[in-house]
Amino acid sequence: MPTIRAILHVDMDAFFASVVQHDQPELRGRPVLTGHDGPRGVVSAASYEAREFGCRSAMPMAQAKRLCPDAVVVKVPGERIRHFSAAVFEVLQSVTPLVEPMSVDEAFLDVTGSVRLLGGAVTIAKDIRKRIQDELGLTASVGVSFNKFLAKLASDMDKPDGLTVIAPGDVSRVLPGLAIERMWGVGPATAKRLRTRGVRTFGDLSAMTRKELDQRFGKHGLRFYRLSRGLDDRPVTPDHGAKSIGQEQTFDSDVAEREHVRSVLLGQVQQVGRRLRKQALRARGVTVKIRYGDFQTITRSGTLDRASDLTDELWGVARGLFDDWARAGFAPVRLIGVSADRLEEGGGQMDLFADPKRQKRRMLDKAIDVIQDRFGVQGVRRGPGRLR
Amino acid sequence: MKVICDRGALVESLNVIGGVVAARTPRAALTCVKLSAGPDGLSLSATDGEISLRLGTARVETSEPGEALVPADKLQQIVRESIDPTLTLHTEQDVAHITGQDSKFKVFGQPVADFPAIPQFKGDADFEVTAGELHRLIAMTIFATARENSRYAINGVLLERDKKKLVVVATDGHRLALAKGTCKPATDEAASAIVPTKALNLLLRLFDDADQTVRVKIADNQILFATDQAELSSNLVEGNFPPYKDVVPKDGDKKAALSTDLFISGVRRAALLTNEESKGVRMAFAPDGLTLRSRAPEMGEAEINVDLAEFVGEPIEIGFNPGYLLDALKVVDENQVHLEFKAPNKPGVLRTGPNFLYVIMPVNLQ
Repeated sequence: MPTIRAILHVDMDAFFASVVQHDQPELRGRPVLTGHDGPRGVVSAASYEAREFGCRSAMPMAQAKRLCPDAVVVKVPGERIRHFSAAVFEVLQSVTPLVEPMSVDEAFLDVTGSVRLLGGAVTIAKDIRKRIQDELGLTASVGVSFNKFLAKLASDMDKPDGLTVIAPGDVSRVLPGLAIERMWGVGPATAKRLRTRGVRTFGDLSAMTRKELDQRFGKHGLRFYRLSRGLDDRPVTPDHGAKSIGQEQTFDSDVAEREHVRSVLLGQVQQVGRRLRKQALRARGVTVKIRYGDFQTITRSGTLDRASDLTDELWGVARGLFDDWARAGFAPVRLIGVSADRLEEGGGQMDLFADPKRQKRRMLDKAIDVIQDRFGVQGVRRGPGRLR
Repeated sequence: MKVICDRGALVESLNVIGGVVAARTPRAALTCVKLSAGPDGLSLSATDGEISLRLGTARVETSEPGEALVPADKLQQIVRESIDPTLTLHTEQDVAHITGQDSKFKVFGQPVADFPAIPQFKGDADFEVTAGELHRLIAMTIFATARENSRYAINGVLLERDKKKLVVVATDGHRLALAKGTCKPATDEAASAIVPTKALNLLLRLFDDADQTVRVKIADNQILFATDQAELSSNLVEGNFPPYKDVVPKDGDKKAALSTDLFISGVRRAALLTNEESKGVRMAFAPDGLTLRSRAPEMGEAEINVDLAEFVGEPIEIGFNPGYLLDALKVVDENQVHLEFKAPNKPGVLRTGPNFLYVIMPVNLQ
């Protein structure tokens, strides 16, 4: 019998909208929609005031505006999001290195090992919420449980600004009545299919035996069996257990200016380098991903002479890959992305002899990281140089 | 050429010479060992183009002097697998016949003329040193060389001689080992050379008697070593050795002394709960002892307390790669080691007596 784990799910409340309201106090208490206000615009977040009108994130902006004509639509500067996101993760990382980011505003923490050090899981959760409130002026909802599925379920139960615990003894009380849509991986379409088969709640599934579930749902049987009983043994996998660290961006419309795509790529390399440096990882490989307007996607990979976390050295490879591709035949790009792979640990080992050139690059990276930590990605940027 | 050899002695010689022979080369002659039989016995030569070795083999009777070039791996396998106490090597043209009591091998060789000229130890040595001393100097440093590195000339070992003083230094950029010894110089001129790791590993295998004299000569971008039985020459590593004197700290004001064995045991145990070699072990030195701590997030934690024989200065907490520490502790031949530190982000020093020094860069404990 493995030990009972202590898992937290930390979910920032209406993160994008809260950042806007934090920065623009006059918007506090008013319905705010964040996102791009254009034909392809989508709501990235709706403040709780806007949610009362039925606005939701991922909803087309036009529809949200129809629901709530008084809403203020703002485009959130990406660097503010990254600034607050980095600050949130700093708080989380101070609790345990076992932080698995799900997105900029959501993460799982495995605090099993920290419980003895920092007090019970609930104490840790309270402390995290308090620090995010005190240090950032934002609120987070935290779910505490013994696996990821239940922790995520818990964080959602008392939103916003809530703290919910699902202990092993609570499972039989909490789960059966829950609507089936709340189950991990069950979207509206699956839920509809399930309802036509008479499954509306978790309880409807947990009442069935494994055999019945297998017969009725085939390969999903096992998952339904486990989740409906609150069983989930997926580990919390921090970024540093990751095989690669990457970043990509889909453009609003296909971009035909190669210099623009190239400078976006440089910005991504810089961010990937920053994430490597934060986690004391070094990469041996770099992969550039390009998607054309017709959704055809290509990748190009290259290798570094030695593992590195320096923006200049990563960019050297990424630039070469991009320029080779661009020279061979540039076409308008829908998505550009870069990832660093073949990761190695050991960034902590210091060098005996300073390599003056590397030393300079390292200091430059450090300076840029500090500025971006404080002022966001727009605070300082590198120039991409000329296409060669 | 025809010789009768003691098989045991020949096996030993071929094992050593096999370490030189080029593994993959388009030049067939470089995969061969050159046999030279004369009135003094049989000598074996091999080269990989960079490093060359000539080795005499004991207990041989020459009945017909001459030379031959025979594939090294085949000859080595045949001699090793044979069961006879003695073997007869007989060559005609480019063909070698290896004959035992119940066996006859015929092996096709190469024309002797294809074998490149290898450097010969001519004239006086620059200095002489006992095999025991040279062995100690190399063994205490060679482990610190870089396994793969092109940055500095550090895939070799630095040999520096100034009058009677002989200093050997090796580093991989994270740690540096330095051993000092004495030699008998024949010239007053100071000299230094970066010798490939492979050549020194081979050299160590040539020594069978600590008291035997090794003659050393550095000339024309080459170093030559000679004993009574063997001559080893190697091209030097080109380039500059990193400025090692600059990184040997002299201002360590936190000093500890402790038992070598206790330290090894403590570091080995703490290393059990680090997940990567490169991850550090946290070491807290204080007047009341040393505490080693390690932590692997998904495995657990370790804490080991080690007695200090002595501690001077402010307490300090510093992280090191346990593998780097153990590498040095394994070659230390004293019961006690001395450590010196300045700060958690400055190199630490491990010493035993005046003749061994190990500088090790810490791991950032963030």
